[in-house]
Amino acid sequence: TNVLNCPLSLLVSVVLVGLLCLVFCSQPTSLDAAPLCTNAEAGCHVLSLANLFDRVIQHSARMHSISNDLHSEFELYFLPSKNQIGRVSRNCHTSNILTPNGKENAQRMAREELTEVILKLLVAWRDPLWHFHQSMTHFHDFIDFSSNKSLKMSDMVHELRKGVQKVVEKMQMLGILSNSVSSLMSPEAFLAPGSAEWRLMKDYELLYCFRRDSNKVQNYLKILKCRIVPEDGC
Amino acid sequence: MACARMVKHLRLPLLLLLLALAAECNSMSPPEKPDKLGCRSPDKETFFCWWTPGSDGGLPTVHHLYYKTEGQENMRQCPDYHKAGSNSCFFSKTSIWVEYTVIVEASNALGNTSSDPLTFDLMNIVKPFAPENVTVVVNIEDSPHLTIQWHTPSNIDTKSGWVTLKNQLRVKPDKSKIWKNYASETQTHFTIYSIDLGVVYMVEVRCAIDNSWSEWSNTTFVKVPNFSRKDNSFWILVFSLCLIPLLAAMIILILKRKTVKKYILPPVPSPKIRGVDVQLLKSGQSEDVINAMLLNQRFPVMIPWKDQKEDYLIVSDKETSYLPLEKKKIFILPLAMALDSEVQSKETSEVDHFPKDSESSSEESSDKTESSQLLTKCSSANVLNDEKANQLKGVTEKIFQPFGIGGYVDIPRHEHMQEADYSRVNEVNGDNILIMKKENIPHTLDTRGQEGSVPDNYSMVKEVNSDNVVFLEKHSESVNASFKAKGYIDWVNQKPKNLHMAGHSEMGVCPQLVGCEYVDTVPPPAVI
Repeated sequence: TNVLNCPLSLLVSVVLVGLLCLVFCSQPTSLDAAPLCTNAEAGCHVLSLANLFDRVIQHSARMHSISNDLHSEFELYFLPSKNQIGRVSRNCHTSNILTPNGKENAQRMAREELTEVILKLLVAWRDPLWHFHQSMTHFHDFIDFSSNKSLKMSDMVHELRKGVQKVVEKMQMLGILSNSVSSLMSPEAFLAPGSAEWRLMKDYELLYCFRRDSNKVQNYLKILKCRIVPEDGC
Repeated sequence: MACARMVKHLRLPLLLLLLALAAECNSMSPPEKPDKLGCRSPDKETFFCWWTPGSDGGLPTVHHLYYKTEGQENMRQCPDYHKAGSNSCFFSKTSIWVEYTVIVEASNALGNTSSDPLTFDLMNIVKPFAPENVTVVVNIEDSPHLTIQWHTPSNIDTKSGWVTLKNQLRVKPDKSKIWKNYASETQTHFTIYSIDLGVVYMVEVRCAIDNSWSEWSNTTFVKVPNFSRKDNSFWILVFSLCLIPLLAAMIILILKRKTVKKYILPPVPSPKIRGVDVQLLKSGQSEDVINAMLLNQRFPVMIPWKDQKEDYLIVSDKETSYLPLEKKKIFILPLAMALDSEVQSKETSEVDHFPKDSESSSEESSDKTESSQLLTKCSSANVLNDEKANQLKGVTEKIFQPFGIGGYVDIPRHEHMQEADYSRVNEVNGDNILIMKKENIPHTLDTRGQEGSVPDNYSMVKEVNSDNVVFLEKHSESVNASFKAKGYIDWVNQKPKNLHMAGHSEMGVCPQLVGCEYVDTVPPPAVI
């Protein structure tokens, strides 16, 4: 009987392998997984706008969460007292960027404007965060707490800006956004003339300001998404 | 005069003193500053603030809330003191990402007291209300599970994407102390499958905006029933219906187990002897057994041994020759009645010796028994006369051949066979005794044409009795009867020299004994 079993088991195993192959080979087609294209004209599969928006929004949410944690830790470590008048001068270097301060204002603002605001904010924070991270290395105590967070934060800003730029490009391609948004311009163009003031900001103020601005970015992106691609999640 | 002046100077301080005394007695004072300021935004669009007023100082006290945003200089008053309840202020139009500063002032007739200012950003005071209308449904049809549904708190705008709600619920059996948390992202319903029957469960739900969680909703109690009656009764019925035929089948099998066993395991046929009852053998008596075995058997029919040519073998010792006829004992004597007396008297020892000696060889003994039988017949037929017996007796004394048991007699055979000439025969006694004349027989004619050769074939001679009595040997059936006759006749014509050779008598005496029946075929020749 052993002799008989040999070819039978072989056959069974071959059939199983074939089935597995079918199962796994069929999966990619269902997921429509394909490499991302730099050129949309090539006709390859590109992620949908809603998908892009979701990714960017998630990214911004994460960024805001890190900035929140960093601010709380800093406050706890260096400034235990809270809610004191005149404690800090809320003078962020991005104050000159006009940002809508409410839902209605944000909804009333044109998409292009809103997109530009987002981009401006993200661009404005690239250098300050990098320098913040650099200055944090001098604080040995603080390094144990949050040095990796500050580094992550500066990276995230950079990545988020690139992501938003991609979204803008997509929108412009789809005709949703007019070409007035100068996404291809260098980041320095976005910087307001007085933006060098950030060097005068203290670290704590910097953290406070960034926490606010990251929240702005997150909310603006959400508003934009639900206005342009009002699918699930809105 | 001086007293009046003193009273005038002292009037104001006295008045003040009186007033102070009066005030102390009544405990009237300016209000304490309001305490515990708090603000909260349930939807990230509106917010309200509250405070705890201090003592009013015995006078009617009014509280005012003043606020100021980041870029403004002047404080503004609260737009709505009522919507959010007492000692609260409700803000419907707000700005986010700007710092608010709020102060509450309590004032009465005696003064104002301001609380400590509170600064906040709208994004930091966001905290939704707990979900509403939490409903829990127990379902135990397929598998027991709880279906929980709720509504988001009112006035929250999720459509524009301004607010993203996350939900969370927790469940525990009422007897347990540990809550089990489940996350439901943006759904307002949830199903829990891992519940036990007969337990009361407590369910609570809460939601969050931007990682800021609300309070837990009011607890909802739900009891999971023990079993599904409808299900159980159905299965019990099915089970019992199936059981009855099974039991019946088993009972039948047990009752008829022998037949079933025979059917399944047929008995193996065992060996049997026809006519023999095994049971009888086992249980019966020995006589019964023997009877059963013997009576039932059919033995082959035994034909009595008659009319068969008998042949026997003459056996004698090698040492003793048969030529000289000596007075020796013969033991192939008819052991019959006639000779018994003489033999016994003289040669009892020999007679007795015979059966003993015959035991040495079974073959010899069988032969001898045969021969003894023959002799018995012979003697019974022929030699029963007293006369003959006497003659025999005499012969036995003289002429009887010695016989040895151990060897075989070498019978001299002569090639030439002459016809029988019964000229010398005196008398034939019976069928095997020839009494010859006592004279030399001349060479007579040979009827067969042979030259006067004495028949020297003594193969037929069994015994020579005196000089004229010869016992012929009985031949086997294979020998031709005519040949026998010839031999006989030839022998009769034997020459004297042969006779001399043969024995001590002048007559043609054959050393051999003669069988009985041989002589039947030959008519007695004429006696010369």
